Amino acid sequence: MAYVAVSAEQRIDAPPAAVFALFGADAGAGWLFDATCDRVAVGAAVTLRAPLGGHPVELLGRIAAVRPPSTIELRLDQPWRGTLRVRFEPAGAGTRVRLTAGLDDDGLRWMMRRRGYRVPAEPTGGAHAVGLLTSKSGSGSVFSAASEGLAAMAVEEINAEGGIHGQPVRLVVGDDATDPAVGTLEAWRLVHAGCRSIMAATTSATFERVSNELRGCATLLVQTVMNEGGLGGGLRVQLGERPADQLRAAIGPMMDAAGGRRWFLAGNDYVWPHVVHGKARSLVAEHGGTVVGERFAHLGTRDFTPLVEAVLASGADVVLSSFVGADLVTFERQCHEMGVRARCRSLALALDEPTRERIGAAAAPGLWGVAGYFAELPGATNAAFLSRYREMHGPFAPPVSTISESVYEALHLYAAAARRAPDDDPVGVARELRHGRADFPRGTVTVDGPETVAQRLYLAEATADGFLVSHQVR
Amino acid sequence: MASDLAFDALADPVRREILGVLAEREECSAGELSNAIHRVGRTAVSSHLRVLRTAGLIAERRTGRFRYYSVDPTGPAQDVIHLLQELFQGSLDAAKVAAESLADTGADDRRAM
Repeated sequence: MAYVAVSAEQRIDAPPAAVFALFGADAGAGWLFDATCDRVAVGAAVTLRAPLGGHPVELLGRIAAVRPPSTIELRLDQPWRGTLRVRFEPAGAGTRVRLTAGLDDDGLRWMMRRRGYRVPAEPTGGAHAVGLLTSKSGSGSVFSAASEGLAAMAVEEINAEGGIHGQPVRLVVGDDATDPAVGTLEAWRLVHAGCRSIMAATTSATFERVSNELRGCATLLVQTVMNEGGLGGGLRVQLGERPADQLRAAIGPMMDAAGGRRWFLAGNDYVWPHVVHGKARSLVAEHGGTVVGERFAHLGTRDFTPLVEAVLASGADVVLSSFVGADLVTFERQCHEMGVRARCRSLALALDEPTRERIGAAAAPGLWGVAGYFAELPGATNAAFLSRYREMHGPFAPPVSTISESVYEALHLYAAAARRAPDDDPVGVARELRHGRADFPRGTVTVDGPETVAQRLYLAEATADGFLVSHQVR
Repeated sequence: MASDLAFDALADPVRREILGVLAEREECSAGELSNAIHRVGRTAVSSHLRVLRTAGLIAERRTGRFRYYSVDPTGPAQDVIHLLQELFQGSLDAAKVAAESLADTGADDRRAM
């Protein structure tokens, strides 16, 4: 595997301690030192907004080492995996700052594609190629951080069991950049690379568009993550949690926690949040609650001030927050800053571990999630799963969640279906995939139709450093 | 120089050696490269060549059953590495401006007191 190292150096007329102190201080010290992190300590999540070719791209990672005032080392996960080391050395009365960034083959290829180059596909001959369509950039890169790592883990396990029909599985990864148009181009790239099936762990905005564009193409498309359904059948399978099930499980307990019945619905402006709100209106009414306001904001919004003001003005007791990824992070941080936590409790259906972590220790309490998986779930299967993930990807790999775990499950369900099917014809594999049952880290999952998945759901309260998974609610 | 950049960029010692050989000669056949690289065998050299070619760092030319390799100074990988260097250098340049203006302000404050 090629590993490219890039370095930069600068001499600064200020002592090392003063230069070191700029890191994360939001002092206008450029995109790197203005890293967003709640603390400069080992393990803290970091976001860097790099102006890559004129457009800011969020580099997500965490601090892997800190030795004040001489070294800060970051491990990056999105949009590429690599290291970023900053050294501060005394040079006369000033400081010599040395920066070294390393990225692997995949990272280099990602950069080349982002620059518009056609990057030749790696040969998949002799292997059973499976596509993973994920979000390595854009808002979705927050919830997708562990998806690729867990896909790699599933593929390793599937191959250790002999692959599919004697062939090893080979994963080909595409980045939708949390943009349906980019997602479509990437889906075609996966098809042309020889993938006869694609696991999509993206927003429904991308899944819907890709599903439509790939009609007439003999490719099995599986949505692994929580979604609103409605597209299953033929070569389309939709796994994951459904909004109505999540809402039924959470509405009653949320009104109890908030001590009130008035709801404000706020979410990103695409198909999934719209469906979530539609279901919420009827289910809130069924539970004796009322909806006092509703707002949408486009994916990629970074200033929610008017929306948060509307929430405060509405007198709501509960906010249903249907934002995703970086939008959910920003919205919840702004809610906290503007005093929403003191007045309301919030329920976010897409709240998962990496998202909670970036919302941060101060802003996360007061927020609830509801999903089929949380890393805190008890049980030997989950414990073994988590320890294998850490063994494979190290202590600084991003936290796993219902979203990334769904990729791991979908690949195993797919492999089992493909082994049951007589050959690699996607129609036969899809037929098998519509019926399956397996024990996963989240518990038993039963697939009974193109978009019917039975699983337990858990309500979880965010705390400063994790989730309090209350109990099985459904 | 593009070849120097590629030489710096690749951390794998064998691939760095291949790029070094290619940087000295305009073009090499696979056989000539294998003879020049002693630390690994012919098969390993050809797999390293494939990686370098896929990454866009070297160009391949075929004549009959022979393949010739050369450093690709205009390859997309070079462009991307250059872009990354500019990006990181830019971040340090901005940090310098901020740190030195803060240091100046601090000195002024002390003088004022």
